[in-house]
Amino acid sequence: MKTYDVIVIGGGLAGFMAAAVAASRGQKVAVLTYGSGSLPLASGAIDFLNAKAPDAAIKNLPAHHPYKKIASKNIDAAAKFFCDITSQGNLPYVGRLSAQIPIVTAVGTLKYSCLVPESMDASNLADKKKIFVVEIAGLKDFYGAMLVDNLKKYFPDKTFEVTKIDLKLLGGRDITCMDAAQILTDKEQPLANELKALNATADDAIIIPPILGVMGSFSRDVVKTQLKAEIIETTCLPPSPPGLRLQRAFIKYLQKAGVRILENSKVIRGVVEGKKLTGVVVENVVREKVFPARKVILATGGFYSGGIVMRDFDNPREPIFDLPVFFPTGAENWSNQNLFDDKPQGFSMTGILTDANLNPIDENGKVLYENLHVVGANLGGCDKIFERSMGGIAIASAYKGAIL
Amino acid sequence: MEKATVVVIGGGATGLGILRDLSMRGVKALLVEKNDLVNGASSRYHGLLHSGGRYAVKDQEAARECIIENQIMRKIGKSCVEPCGGMFTRLDIDDPAYEELWVKGCSDSGIEATPITLDEAFRLEPRLSRKHVKSAYLVPDAAVDGFRMAWQLIDSSKRYGGQFKTYTEVIGFDSVNGELRGVKVRDQFTGEEYEIACDIAVNAAGGWAGFVGKLAGVEIGVQPDKGTLIAFNQRIVNHVVNRLHKSSDGDIFVPHGSITILGTSSMSVPNPEDTSTSRAEVESLLKIGEETFEDLRDFRILRTFAGSRPLYIPPGGAVGRSASRGFAIVDHEQDGLKGFFTIVGGKFTTYRLMAEKMCNQICAKLGNNTPCRTADEPLVEEVSQEDKDRAKKFFPSYGVNLAATRLGVDRFKKVVERLESEPESRELICECENVTRAEVEEICKDDTSFIVNDVRRRTRIGMGTCQGNFCALRAAAIFADMGVESTAKDSLTRMREFLQGRWKGIRPVLLGRTLRETEMTRSIYELSMNIKGGAPQ
Repeated sequence: MKTYDVIVIGGGLAGFMAAAVAASRGQKVAVLTYGSGSLPLASGAIDFLNAKAPDAAIKNLPAHHPYKKIASKNIDAAAKFFCDITSQGNLPYVGRLSAQIPIVTAVGTLKYSCLVPESMDASNLADKKKIFVVEIAGLKDFYGAMLVDNLKKYFPDKTFEVTKIDLKLLGGRDITCMDAAQILTDKEQPLANELKALNATADDAIIIPPILGVMGSFSRDVVKTQLKAEIIETTCLPPSPPGLRLQRAFIKYLQKAGVRILENSKVIRGVVEGKKLTGVVVENVVREKVFPARKVILATGGFYSGGIVMRDFDNPREPIFDLPVFFPTGAENWSNQNLFDDKPQGFSMTGILTDANLNPIDENGKVLYENLHVVGANLGGCDKIFERSMGGIAIASAYKGAIL
Repeated sequence: MEKATVVVIGGGATGLGILRDLSMRGVKALLVEKNDLVNGASSRYHGLLHSGGRYAVKDQEAARECIIENQIMRKIGKSCVEPCGGMFTRLDIDDPAYEELWVKGCSDSGIEATPITLDEAFRLEPRLSRKHVKSAYLVPDAAVDGFRMAWQLIDSSKRYGGQFKTYTEVIGFDSVNGELRGVKVRDQFTGEEYEIACDIAVNAAGGWAGFVGKLAGVEIGVQPDKGTLIAFNQRIVNHVVNRLHKSSDGDIFVPHGSITILGTSSMSVPNPEDTSTSRAEVESLLKIGEETFEDLRDFRILRTFAGSRPLYIPPGGAVGRSASRGFAIVDHEQDGLKGFFTIVGGKFTTYRLMAEKMCNQICAKLGNNTPCRTADEPLVEEVSQEDKDRAKKFFPSYGVNLAATRLGVDRFKKVVERLESEPESRELICECENVTRAEVEEICKDDTSFIVNDVRRRTRIGMGTCQGNFCALRAAAIFADMGVESTAKDSLTRMREFLQGRWKGIRPVLLGRTLRETEMTRSIYELSMNIKGGAPQ
């Protein structure tokens, strides 16, 4: 059996990014995935840090923070590489690490990210005269009145108009944004016609749920060219079409680069030789299968994706390599009284600690496996949701893990 | 001034039972509740319809009352009761001598306790510990839905002219020459204070009865006794499974639909508002629970919750587990306030009997000799098969019965008609519990719907597997359109409050797959929705 240069475990943003970077450097790569990956559940925007200028703020983080181990030059390079991949996939992202771009959420707040799909960029909203909010008959989870109530707080002087259009989507069951996006892919004209009928001018904006197809920016281009007004997609409850578009852009890139993506491959342990892994073992229906590798990247995620599990209190585990897991001990440090709090949640800081090479370390700082690199939400020590660093850490750590 | 012959204080099972009973006897009654209905021990409990087996050794009077009321409740509240049956199991660590006492106690109290072989026990309850279980009996326990029972009591009372006001807190009493004239109340949302004139007031405030008594200047021996429970996201048991030993913590499992409730603990607390739970309490319940079910920790815990039993402590009486589960009626004429009564203690299973006894006493005072009929007449009419068949086009079939019983005949009909004529109203607001937009909007219109949590208790949105991840946003949006003006809040606050309420019960059980759900909640509402609304600083 052939030996891969790199085996990536996990098909989320970090795993795909690591595989893409490694493949772009001419390496033989396989991605072992189990489940669908968490990308279609995410907004599609890549948050780096909750700061006006994330790049500067990253420099001031404490030494144990994953970003500090990744180092700024890699973070910049990761962002650039990410934008290259997405633009090759006809899914242009805009933004930079020194500023934040506002996007409109499904509830009408503004959310800020460094890298956002062009279709969600709401930077120009402040300059618009009138904002149309378009509901789709039968589409759930998009409520114009609530959205306008909240968005008005940012733009009290603007004129808002909520309109409902009927794209005849309603069949026998609920229609989510994902359903609508799938239905409208390659069949954008009815939507374009309805939006044209709003007679919105070049001074206006049209806000719609994220239903502009599931293939890159193709559907958006079809609709956009027929409108004078700017068209802006919001975030949505999962599953999220912008997340799916991103997942597809990566898969397309990986396939082109010759990366093997092996689905339904549950890695159960590593093959260890001294301080190195020589491969990983995948659970199979009839027998176990060994995948030999020179290097392994662990991108199985945190509690959400099952990369870290915890059956009993004060005993979180990393189920594949049984790596030591950092976690805050005791009920008081585990979580805060408020779910949405002004400080990080302890449980969310749970994860694997690494050295500067992203090699997992034990409590004494000793490296456990020299050719195993831990990336993405597997990394412990910070609450990535609280500090809005989930996407940034995923792509930046993946980049570094892949170039080492 | 508003007027009623009787003001009932407290919207728990006891107060609602009194409201229904009085209304059926033609007495003009008005119930006031400072929160939403069944916000105290009437929903924060096992949901166990006792056979009486639990009390067969210690308190045979209570045991006898239980078995009689158990039979009545199955008849009048058919759709609130899940007749799953009960099992008592003695473990190797339990005292065999107690088993003998218990068998005799059941027989003396009229409770049918059928011994079964261990093979049969393991067949009926495959997860029972084969290592520990030594003997087993079947008893006529059942599961009962406290929420649904409450709404049905309200619907039944309304039919007979009964009135009620939620979020209306009693703040004082008006009396002249030792005779009650009225009850002073405050609207919790508007802050408006006013008086309701009445001849008689009944303090049925449960754990809060002592506070209400104080407002009238009388001492009432009630000790709030906190019990913590755990809801698992699976049906671990088919029957109510009780430990056959001297009643203790964590020794009853009750199946409810697709979940199981394990409880409870017993801890005296100064304030019945204390519904906090802790990891330590959860650990202690799990430890006891896994004596009966060894693989208990493999099941996902949905949440934990707590309520306070209003234990009646007669002067010099015992507290906690040793306190009586019986009830007491006090006529405060003896304390110098004519027309003021307190009913305290008891348990959910016997709420109807408590109400009957209380109303007999009230009616005697009023010179009303209409007999009590609450044991004979079903709480609500049954929804017709025709309406259920119509609904089947829009619900999965198991959802039809649930919706029919929680909505009742009239509202169910209206909801089905909307589902038929307005396709958009078929949207599922809560996929976990199969609640449609038509139902949520119908309940939003009701006079008990002020905040999203009120609609949750009525419809079960947010009570299932995902604990509000998806319906929080949808419900807040519907409220933004339909919410009651006096409680108008912005939608983000409503969403936050709703999810924070869910969080309260999740936090002490934050492990296993519950961690995954929580990370999903945070990732949706903090990352995708920026529910806090802030901008980077």
